Amino acid sequence: MAMDILLTLLTVVFALMVVFSKKTVVAAFSLLMTLLSLAMIYFQLGTVFLSAVQVLINAGAVAILFVFVMMLINLEEFSNNRERNKVKLVISTFTMLVVLGVLALVINNNIETLSIVNLSDSSMTALFDKLFNSYFLPFEMATVLLLASIVACIVITGHEKHGKEELKEQDKMGVE
Amino acid sequence: MSIYYYLSAFLFCLGLLGTIFKKDLISMLLCVELMMGGVSLLFILFSKSTGFLDAQLMVVFTLIVSACEVAIGLSLIIALYRKKQTIYTDDIKIITE
Repeated sequence: MAMDILLTLLTVVFALMVVFSKKTVVAAFSLLMTLLSLAMIYFQLGTVFLSAVQVLINAGAVAILFVFVMMLINLEEFSNNRERNKVKLVISTFTMLVVLGVLALVINNNIETLSIVNLSDSSMTALFDKLFNSYFLPFEMATVLLLASIVACIVITGHEKHGKEELKEQDKMGVE
Repeated sequence: MSIYYYLSAFLFCLGLLGTIFKKDLISMLLCVELMMGGVSLLFILFSKSTGFLDAQLMVVFTLIVSACEVAIGLSLIIALYRKKQTIYTDDIKIITE
């Protein structure tokens, strides 16, 4: 129970930071931490596979994509990050240690879930059995959806041939 | 475990709040992701409390759809920035113009 409350508190704090932080970069990294704490909750609940997927896809790909887009768009937000602030260093180290401590507690509590005997038991096998039998068509449709979204991204963000001069002007503005 | 139900509701409501009151498009998309996180958590809780395994698969599909949504949303934001040089919703009046 104490573990549940601790994880909930961690998630709530980072979720509040997503909404109420002034800087978008801070919000993006708070979202990353929120998704990681959600992954810890999934782990605590015993859905190990979904926890791993959450870390890989949502935290690893989606949240980092946000940061990359911010680097493309808001150049001025990154300009004053060169100077090293000691307070920031202390705060970020403290945050990292808290998250690490919670993660260690979760793993310590669920050490028997991690053993191979439990991982290969019925729940995982049943999950994949369902995914590749009764949900095979939706699964394949999801791959088509992903392909369509890749094509859509390329089409939407692709350079137009007559827009090259405009882009050069934009680059100059960015340098200035 | 029941505290997680409140957490999922809280995450959804907080994401909704952020989506409504944020001014720039990237922050709005971040808040939509927060809502997605709340919904996924609720799916897993449902699966755990009823033993209904299909709900866990729904989470996988939700994840795929949210990844597509974020990719397309961010590329739309980049396209908009190239055209209008802004990502703030107050500056965009394409429909009302």
